[in-house]
Amino acid sequence: MSKEENTANRPDNTAFTQQRLPAWQPMLSAGIVIPGFVIIGVAFIGIGVALFVTSQNIQVLEIDYTGIETNSSCFKCKNTSVKNCNCTINFSRDKLFKGPVFVYYGLSNYFQNYRQYGASKDATQLTGDLSDLGDPSYCKEPCETCCPYRKDANDKPIVPCGSIANSMFNDTFKLFQIVNSSNVAVPLDGKGIAWWTDYNIKYRNPPTNPLKNAFNDTVKPIFWPRPAYELDPTNPANNGFINQDFLVWMRRSALPNFTKLYRRITEGEYAKGLPAGDYALVIGYNYPVVEFDGRKKVVFSNVSWMGGKNLFLGIVYLVIGSLCVVMSIVMLIVYAKFKFPDEE
Amino acid sequence: MVKQHFSPQLTWEVRANCRPRYARGRRRSFLCFRWGRYAAIPAIASLRWYTNAIPLILVLTVRGLKDLATDLARRKSDSQINSRASDVLDSKSFCTVQWKDLCVGDVVRIHKDQPVPADLLLLCSSEEYSLCYVETADIDGETNLKYKQALSITHNELTSEPSEKSLADFDGVVWCERPNNRLYAFRGHLRWRGEDHVLNNDHVLLRGTVLRNTLVAYGLMIYAGADTKILRSCGKLRVKSTHVDRLLNKMVIGIFAFVLLTSLLMAVGHGAFEGQVSRFVPALSALTVNGDPVYSAFLTFWSYVIVLNPLIPMALYISFDVIHVLHSLFINWDVEMRWEKKDSPARARNTSLNEQLGQVGHLLSDKTGTLTQNHLLFRQCCIAGRVYGDASISVEETQQMDLSWNPFASGQLSMWAPELVQLLRARQCPIVSEFFTALALCHTVMPEQSKGALLYKASSPDEEALVGAARDLGWVFHSRRRDNLTVLELGVTREYQLLATLEFTSQRRRMSILVRDPEGGLKLYCKGADMVVLERLQAGCPCLESTERALESFAQTCLRTLCVAVRCVPEELWDCWSEVLTDAATMATGERDAVLEALYGAMESQLLLLGATAIEDRLQEGVPETIALLREAGLKIWVLTGDKTETAVNIGYFSKLLDPDTRLLGGQELREVLRSADPGYSASSSRQGDAWCVNMKTARAKTALVISGPELAEFVQEPGTGAKLIGLAAQCQSVLCCRVTPGQKADVVTLIRKHSRSITMAIGDGANDVNMIKTAHIGVGIAGVEGGQAVQNADFSLAQFRFLQRLLLVHGRWSYRRITFFVLFFIHKTCNFALVNIWFGFFNGFSAQSMYENWFIAMYTSLYTSIPIQLYAFFEQDVSAESSLRSPGLYRPGPLDRLFNPLTIAAMLAQTLFSSLVLFFIPYGVFQDSPLGYQTLAVTVSMADIFCVDAELLLLTRHWTAFNAVFLCIAFGFFFIVSRITQQPRLFQLAPADYFFVGVSENAFADPLVWLTALLAGVTAALPALFVFVFNVLLSGPDTHRVHSLAGPRPVELRSKVRRIDSGRRPSGVASRVSSSKGAAAPASGGPPHHPHPHPHHPHRLPLLEDKPTVDGAGVELSVPFIGRRLLPAIGK
Repeated sequence: MSKEENTANRPDNTAFTQQRLPAWQPMLSAGIVIPGFVIIGVAFIGIGVALFVTSQNIQVLEIDYTGIETNSSCFKCKNTSVKNCNCTINFSRDKLFKGPVFVYYGLSNYFQNYRQYGASKDATQLTGDLSDLGDPSYCKEPCETCCPYRKDANDKPIVPCGSIANSMFNDTFKLFQIVNSSNVAVPLDGKGIAWWTDYNIKYRNPPTNPLKNAFNDTVKPIFWPRPAYELDPTNPANNGFINQDFLVWMRRSALPNFTKLYRRITEGEYAKGLPAGDYALVIGYNYPVVEFDGRKKVVFSNVSWMGGKNLFLGIVYLVIGSLCVVMSIVMLIVYAKFKFPDEE
Repeated sequence: MVKQHFSPQLTWEVRANCRPRYARGRRRSFLCFRWGRYAAIPAIASLRWYTNAIPLILVLTVRGLKDLATDLARRKSDSQINSRASDVLDSKSFCTVQWKDLCVGDVVRIHKDQPVPADLLLLCSSEEYSLCYVETADIDGETNLKYKQALSITHNELTSEPSEKSLADFDGVVWCERPNNRLYAFRGHLRWRGEDHVLNNDHVLLRGTVLRNTLVAYGLMIYAGADTKILRSCGKLRVKSTHVDRLLNKMVIGIFAFVLLTSLLMAVGHGAFEGQVSRFVPALSALTVNGDPVYSAFLTFWSYVIVLNPLIPMALYISFDVIHVLHSLFINWDVEMRWEKKDSPARARNTSLNEQLGQVGHLLSDKTGTLTQNHLLFRQCCIAGRVYGDASISVEETQQMDLSWNPFASGQLSMWAPELVQLLRARQCPIVSEFFTALALCHTVMPEQSKGALLYKASSPDEEALVGAARDLGWVFHSRRRDNLTVLELGVTREYQLLATLEFTSQRRRMSILVRDPEGGLKLYCKGADMVVLERLQAGCPCLESTERALESFAQTCLRTLCVAVRCVPEELWDCWSEVLTDAATMATGERDAVLEALYGAMESQLLLLGATAIEDRLQEGVPETIALLREAGLKIWVLTGDKTETAVNIGYFSKLLDPDTRLLGGQELREVLRSADPGYSASSSRQGDAWCVNMKTARAKTALVISGPELAEFVQEPGTGAKLIGLAAQCQSVLCCRVTPGQKADVVTLIRKHSRSITMAIGDGANDVNMIKTAHIGVGIAGVEGGQAVQNADFSLAQFRFLQRLLLVHGRWSYRRITFFVLFFIHKTCNFALVNIWFGFFNGFSAQSMYENWFIAMYTSLYTSIPIQLYAFFEQDVSAESSLRSPGLYRPGPLDRLFNPLTIAAMLAQTLFSSLVLFFIPYGVFQDSPLGYQTLAVTVSMADIFCVDAELLLLTRHWTAFNAVFLCIAFGFFFIVSRITQQPRLFQLAPADYFFVGVSENAFADPLVWLTALLAGVTAALPALFVFVFNVLLSGPDTHRVHSLAGPRPVELRSKVRRIDSGRRPSGVASRVSSSKGAAAPASGGPPHHPHPHPHHPHRLPLLEDKPTVDGAGVELSVPFIGRRLLPAIGK
């Protein structure tokens, strides 16, 4: 038998077929893993401290204006039957509230992450896509998902349709500094509070000029006081589907308790912050929350590199980091006992 | 032409091989079940339709392609066989048609060396008396030729004229049994020309046999295609599935039930939420479908079924298949499991049993051809009391004798006995000549002339060795005809007239042949087992004592012995004997057997002892080492053999199956132990207070059971005894079953399967092992000397027994670890990813809001996480192949199923629960009251998922090949890249509804808070795995790594060449006692053959500590603290 014949069935002798691929097998020992564990712990503690300190330095002012308490100035507005109710809440700062100050409104017990709620919109309608111009039905025949906020009783399409849009938050806030018992308005800047992608891509106005024409034969959402093209009477460019407040509202919250950015204080002398003194917050109280046990609040906060105040993350980092360190000590003891049992 | 009044119409269909495809019906139907169109209904569509469809389509495509490939391969091999050519009589002449066109009733012509296409009735052949020879290797694995003979009527009538014409005129009718699977029985009769002729098995050529030594044979087709006996006897192959497979299926069903139950609970929660909370919120209450919370809850149930769908690890099944296939390929590719000599690599014929190779608890082995080479060598003989040759010198070292004077010498005689040659050539000693005449005549060997050389075809390799030895020494068996035998004695041709053959049966254990020598004298030559022959000697036989001594020494050196005797038969005895014999031929079967028995007995008496032969059936290379290693790995080894007890026991000692001081328990004693109520304890009272009973446990470990076939049948029959036997065997060192039939071998396997939970592996090489191979969990065929039947039916085929150690300890162990860790990890990662949806449900009104982006769900199992874990399952090696072989104790967790049992699964699920809670609640805490929206939360949790899974993969993988590292990085990077791609504006503009996460990752990835949250959640979720990992490292200490890094010489105790030395030191009492006790192997009386001091080659081992598994969520890591230490002394030498 010749040699070639004898090797006809020989498998390839390669590293792969023979499972001898070069490989790194980390040789781990107590000398590596315990210090490694300590390092993880220490790093976490470090991050935790940084986060905690940063968070502590953030100034936050929260004002609950739901009006549950009878002594609250907003108590009178609690009843939904009262229309166009305004209430004023006064507060004072004894030191500078460092700027830029962000103004948020917050809701609690409000399930914006409810699935059917989240689905209740027409993404195509809200893009106002140019290609749909020739086909005016984009506004006229909203997507089925918008039900029951799709068409009104007269079978006219609701624009923007759906429950999210319909339930848009419509309280308004004005901030005044009380200087010598006269109110000085603090300018609130509503520009650029929405994501760039939302403003430029996800939501577009129909390119009809004037905008109002695009909404012919449609009705405004039932809950809204004004149609979409008149959302911001002060700034014609901030209307329709690209109204900043609308965009912020349409970005659904993660959890039932949430805040949303309302305004920033970035202009004039208040750009550096709110100086010490007395302030009056004038609230246009429109949004009903009491019936579902919700709360409304206004939050003034300045921000750091990590955003708003968030003690939780820093604390958890500290806890986990400490846990790692403690565990590494336990490990050391266990290891010592195991390794040198005779010396015990 | 043929009418079979019993059988229905027979259809012609050739099946290539009779192994049915491994059916995985349940799995597929299981997938079908999941394929619900309801996922696309908007009211309940919690996810987009493609989210679940993408993995599903992937699974179905891969599976479909695999099945298609298998089907095509089957079709190809089917059509190959279908299109084989065969000659069929068509009216007056033969024409060639394909096999598939043959029908029952056709007369076919078969040429020399052609396979028989169907079961045929032999009509006539070109040979005298219409004899024809067939080789039945494919049926029973025997390579010798068997002859078949046509009925004399058909022979006489059909060969008188030109065959075509007479055959075309043949109009006989065969009445026979319906197609059945009895290969060795055929009943029927031929009605032709108004006469009935009885047909039996001798008249039938079976499909699967090959015509040899016969120019042409003509046959009538009786059974065709699937009705042929061989296909009938293949039977239905049980679909073999592994423990892991079954547990996994149960687990998946459990998960499925969990999904339904959880969805139900969530739906109830949703109903409550609708009733209690959302009805006060106008924005939500308006959304309640039909304003009915119950209906809404009902829809939510289905929504949750969809959302929790990823819990069901569907992709696991394809990954599972792919891994199995690759592991099987690794087996095929392993050059170290290829036998150089025969160029025969290992083959995994069944690609779904790999991990079970790592769990084998019982190894059932055939002996001949499996442990031994089945290549028999004539090593020694004892003639007239004098021993020639020396078997203590190994074959390689034996000098070749100069046999050039003999033109027929093969040059393969491994015996050094020049004095014998001298005696023979000088013809000085008639008894020596007579001895070799006996060897040359007394057998059923068929000689074959090929290219001038003389080849012997024998049904047993023993005969071949004996006839071959006689030939080498000048007594050349030259040819066999129906009634005479030609022998060239030192070149002189002598013709012996063959008068009668008294065949060998396993009861008689001898065969004899009655011949008339050229001088006219009547002689009976007899050869057989020593016990049988010795009791039939004439009184005062010379040299009896010295021959017995020689036999004992042969047995001790593990040689197979036969005694040879002769008798000069008086003419009168022959006359009357042959008369009775002729009468007996016409008797009824039962009666005839008894008469024949007596008749044979009468003839085989008054024998004159010529001598004894000693044949060596050499152990295959590496068998003792392999057995020692496997025993150390905790396998219970049972040897099942058709051989006699003595031989089996001797082989047991030589193959390290039995230690020199092992006590044999068998026969009556075993029966008593088993009959006693509790074999574990009452054994002490059953015997007269043997020393070994004092310390039962250790004594048992030094005991081997020896069971003979009839005893075995008894134990199997008797209710309750089987369980006791298995229980007893579990405590003993090993078990030898001798004189077992193929059916009993399978019975043993069934018994073990029934009474123990361990995985059985059967290994064998011959057709007689097929039953056992098919019955066991894993069947291994040795592709050896005997035919391919064992391999055909086996799940794995090896060329040599020694490759078993690599197959089990390396491939099996790796596969088991890889696959179990893979499965656990896979389920862990899908579950902790999907469970988050449940926790989120508590904060979104149980509305079935998915926690993740659709694309993330679709990609998570298929792209982000599956490749690294798959690569883990491909390449992971916790210890190297060499270390696995060096520390067989590492194998032990497998048989105990330490890595994949309800406990490890529970631990894994607990970890999954923990990590899913962490993955949700840390981001929950961070997002509380924050302006970051739902979509940002989704991206954060996704990121944490990826961090967690990749961190755990980092901890799980201990063997980092470049692939592992690169693909882990790629998979990690893919998350960020694909997230950016699916969330980019262009895609959103194309399909706003599908890509509504536009811009989220762009914003989220720029936010340090998201990163810090994801990092914290991911690491914390992986913390349990990290703890377990570190504790493993600590507790196993540096010693574990010795297993990795040891590269020194192998431990002496495993590799020592102890074979020859052992034979001298083995307590001499054992073998002789065994061989002298009749039928049973148990010592007749007295204490155990206790060995006073430990054998020098088996130093006391430090006890192997129980391997302690520590629980790990991602699986269970085995800590092996002591293995390394145990090795140290051995390496220090």
